[in-house]
Amino acid sequence: MLIFRKPLEGIERPQMPADVVIVGGGPAGMACALRLAQLIDAHNAAHPDSQLSKENIYVLEKAREVGQHCLSGALLDPRSMNELLPGFEKEAPLDAKVTKEAVYFFTEKSKFKFPITPPFLRDHGNYVISLNKFVKWMGSKVEETGITIFTGFAGSELLFDGDRVTGVRTDDKGVDKEGHQKSNFEPGYDLQAKVVILAEGPRGSLTKQLITKFDLAKNANPQTYGVGVKELWEVPAGRIAAGEVIYTMGWPLTTKEYGGAWIYGSPGSGPKDNIVSLGFVTGLDYADPRLDPQRVLQEFKKHPFVAKLLEGGKMIRYGAKSMPYGGWWAIPPVAGNGWMILGDSAGFLNSARLKGIHLAIKSGMLAAETAFEALTKDDSSAATLGAFQKKVESSWIKEELWKVRNLHQGFEHGMFAGMFHTGLQMITGGRGLRNRYRAKAGYEHMRKLTDLPADGGPEALLLGPAKGDGKLTFDKLTDLYHSGTKHEEDQPAHLVIHDTNICNTKCVKEFGSPCQNFCPANVYEMVEDASQPNGKHISLNPSNCVHCKTCDIADPYQIITWVPPEGGGGPNYDGM
Amino acid sequence: MLDTILVVVEQREGKLNRVSWETITAGQTIAAATGWTLEAAVVGGSAAPFAAEVAAKKVAKVYAVESPKLEPYTPDAFTVALKQFLAAKQPKLVLMPHTYQVRDFAPKLATAMGRTVISDCIGFKHENGKLVFTRQMFQGKLAADVSFTSDAPWFATFQNGSFRGDKAEAGAGAAPIETVAVEIADGVIRNKPQEVFKEAKQAVDLTQAEIIVAVGRGIKEQKNIEIAKQLADALGGDLAASRPICDSGWLPMDRQIGSSGQTVAPKLYLALGISGAIQHIVGMKGSKTIIAVNKDSEAPIFEIADYAIVGNLFDIVPPLTEEVKKAKAGS
Amino acid sequence: MPVLKILVCMKQVPQKDAPLKLNESGTWIREDVSYEVNEPDAYALEEALRQREKHKGEVVVITSGPARAQQVLREALAKGADRAIHLEDDKFVGLDAFNTAKAFAAAIKDESFDLIFTGLQSDDYGYAQTGVILGELLGLPHATIIMHIEKTDSGIRVKRELEAGYFQFVDMPTPAVLTIQSGINKLRYATLIGIKQAKNKPLRKVALAEVQSALGDNLQKIERLYVPQKTKKTEHIEGSAGEIAKKLVDKLRNELRVL
Repeated sequence: MLIFRKPLEGIERPQMPADVVIVGGGPAGMACALRLAQLIDAHNAAHPDSQLSKENIYVLEKAREVGQHCLSGALLDPRSMNELLPGFEKEAPLDAKVTKEAVYFFTEKSKFKFPITPPFLRDHGNYVISLNKFVKWMGSKVEETGITIFTGFAGSELLFDGDRVTGVRTDDKGVDKEGHQKSNFEPGYDLQAKVVILAEGPRGSLTKQLITKFDLAKNANPQTYGVGVKELWEVPAGRIAAGEVIYTMGWPLTTKEYGGAWIYGSPGSGPKDNIVSLGFVTGLDYADPRLDPQRVLQEFKKHPFVAKLLEGGKMIRYGAKSMPYGGWWAIPPVAGNGWMILGDSAGFLNSARLKGIHLAIKSGMLAAETAFEALTKDDSSAATLGAFQKKVESSWIKEELWKVRNLHQGFEHGMFAGMFHTGLQMITGGRGLRNRYRAKAGYEHMRKLTDLPADGGPEALLLGPAKGDGKLTFDKLTDLYHSGTKHEEDQPAHLVIHDTNICNTKCVKEFGSPCQNFCPANVYEMVEDASQPNGKHISLNPSNCVHCKTCDIADPYQIITWVPPEGGGGPNYDGM
Repeated sequence: MLDTILVVVEQREGKLNRVSWETITAGQTIAAATGWTLEAAVVGGSAAPFAAEVAAKKVAKVYAVESPKLEPYTPDAFTVALKQFLAAKQPKLVLMPHTYQVRDFAPKLATAMGRTVISDCIGFKHENGKLVFTRQMFQGKLAADVSFTSDAPWFATFQNGSFRGDKAEAGAGAAPIETVAVEIADGVIRNKPQEVFKEAKQAVDLTQAEIIVAVGRGIKEQKNIEIAKQLADALGGDLAASRPICDSGWLPMDRQIGSSGQTVAPKLYLALGISGAIQHIVGMKGSKTIIAVNKDSEAPIFEIADYAIVGNLFDIVPPLTEEVKKAKAGS
Repeated sequence: MPVLKILVCMKQVPQKDAPLKLNESGTWIREDVSYEVNEPDAYALEEALRQREKHKGEVVVITSGPARAQQVLREALAKGADRAIHLEDDKFVGLDAFNTAKAFAAAIKDESFDLIFTGLQSDDYGYAQTGVILGELLGLPHATIIMHIEKTDSGIRVKRELEAGYFQFVDMPTPAVLTIQSGINKLRYATLIGIKQAKNKPLRKVALAEVQSALGDNLQKIERLYVPQKTKKTEHIEGSAGEIAKKLVDKLRNELRVL
């Protein structure tokens, strides 16, 4: 019997008042905390008689350590960091300045280089970074300001009073698999906060609660996502330069799937090697439920260009994370009565440039300015916090995202249509054929097995689990081992499936249980069970989870809700 | 004076702890490599009978270090007694088995003499006249060669199973025995130990098991685990499992071997129907001997197995259990 | 009622499944890994906190190591320890157990503790010595691999774990040094309030210079650290089930000597 995680009912919870609670210690959350501290410090210096305190401003981070759940390629556009901390490049951990970039179109055995790098993929002035290291550094700056970062604590649910968000409830600790209190049980705290800022990354769980409760997304396009599956490699020197950026499109995907790969070079630990960040992003709107994004990455590595780059190298870390592609029209209202939404949770990601960190940081700064106003006025109603919405709309966030507002939607009918629309959008300031392109949610594109060729057709090599040769390519379990993911074993399952009968009777037949394929961490398994009508039942390995949220996004019946497991658990993306 | 290696054997509850023979083998091996003389010592209330047993081995001399205050064992008494003895004897190297008792007093003894212990060694090297001791670090992930930078006596303890007790050479005749009475003043002993007792352990501690029979997905159904249990019982070993078996509740969590369970290094590890995913391998690859049975000839477990049997475990295991029972009955 | 003062010696070690890399000289690991508290020390701390809950008193935590080791102390303070001592210097990493114990003894020379706990051994070195050495340096009685502690009129009664399922009670006077077995209790979680309060608890830093005079040269040296090479040759055993059984038993008996 699967018992799913939910906050215990009927227990007394410690109450803790807060001025601002930022849920999520990623680039958006940290930038918000830093900017808020700057504003408060400046205010206090100028107003010695009406000081504001930083004592009651908290960042909640579910990972055991700051940065541990942060994963990205990554390339940083320094625009917002220059605003936040001028001169940051002197002390921030930056792997390399981008020295050259190339975009390739891959076929199975060869490649075609784009003679001109498309403008939105030009990275001059940007930095190759490890998001994990960068956020760790940001965290140390936040700690210096006196704002407390609570690591190992997740936001498990929002607290409401009518249409107002009044706070955040943290995770219950010490609950066993059956949902009972263990001897070291600690109830989650109710943080009663004037302002709650959601910076949970893509497909945030509290963000989802908020959007659902207030039907916030009713006027927006449905958010669409991709999942990035990444490996960090150590390769002998001379193959790739530090600061070299490569993007690929095409093989192993067909024209029907959206996605592509990145390869970034970073300095190694010594002169003899380089670190290579490589990964494949697959749009979570593919048709064949047997598609396995981790498999896609393994096939990609078999391309002669990539295989040669990685030969003799060593895979040192693995991870996966979803990312929001929907663009401007998929962003819901980002402020309301007592709340604001930042970064990837809101959907501030430029899907053309494939960058969102700089937008996350900028959104954090604008939210901090709004929160500061709320604190000085002692008013965090929708009227005051609504200023955040206006600030975003008059900032370069909108300017940048407006130009690519219809990009991803243009690809809903395949690559050629997409390229046509993109080309058109580029010369019409993003408009294309009409101001706003609609979108379908990704899972709605998934087709039933009966509608697809039994052998998979041209997509055959993307379907099903990778076997791996153990040197260049790896099976999922071996890759997963290198994500360092660890959880308290004895706890309820945090992948909340609302009706397992659907898994065992409907999905298994119609889609062949795609959860086994789209999850990059082997969390979902159909195991033999003679008592079931289809001979199988759904079984979970929740402690394998890497917190990518793919299941919450891609499940065709939308019956999976990802909630944070007990704080402190999850992947360990050191160096990622 | 010739350099001496002194092996301090362990006796408890009226019996010589058989792991001591392994330390004798270690001493003999190091003596052969270095040319140093090998001697042994027994410590206790009445050590002479044990000394006689040790004297049958190939050692130059055996010392019975005695005092009524050495019974029962206390770290204070053993430290004072051995410090007296060693200060007079001045061996170059003192070897002991890495038992719970030795862990309890050896560092105290070394500190009292201003010296140091390299503990839990699994071997040694003698290169260019220099003696280094090999030990595992970071839970077996790395190995270290450690040397002494202090004066003698040097203290080293050896891990259970790092040398073979049955390879301890017997002496041509009985070695001479010398009884050494040690002075332990009043007030030295501060601990008052009570009777040793056995308790049904609440949790299984597979890290102490010498033989482990582990099952994986290949066991197919919970009721089939009985087949593996029979083999484990016949061998006198413990039952364990890979993660999926414990996740399904077929065996309790404390029998899980792997990155999210226990890490073990028994003398013998029998992997039945285990594919060998890396998460499992990291929990048992330090085992001295690994025997794997799996239907799939490509199963990764075979990469780390000493003995590979490609076949159906349901065919292989029952006859094996029978043969083991026969061998044990016959011997 | 006399106040019970307990010192818990804690160590920061590389995370259990962190991929380890050797440094240039092959004598230690590269420090760019994730760290965590040595697991047995976490149990020692938990035991200390429980003793304080029973008998009132003070729990002090101490560690030696670079700046990063402070994290272990912060976590201990967040869980309820009263104050912390950090022997802070990169060079503490290279000290052997003998000198580490000497450094601790020097750092606490002006204090008197009723009980001193350490975990039974560290997950990185695995020597199991520091606690025993510290007891000898301080002239205190000690006991190792302790499962349970009770206060008595004359001091304490401890339950010591022995091999093969055996145990032993030992009566001891205090002050005493105990090395605590892992897994003897359920570790408590730090709470939000605990973490906040920890920021204001005393954390005394001790520089290497302050204890230098108590230290000497290391008495042992790691000549080299390496990945153990397994020269494994897999031998296939073939034949009918009956033949395989016989061949295996033969190996078990004569080569492996487990029968």
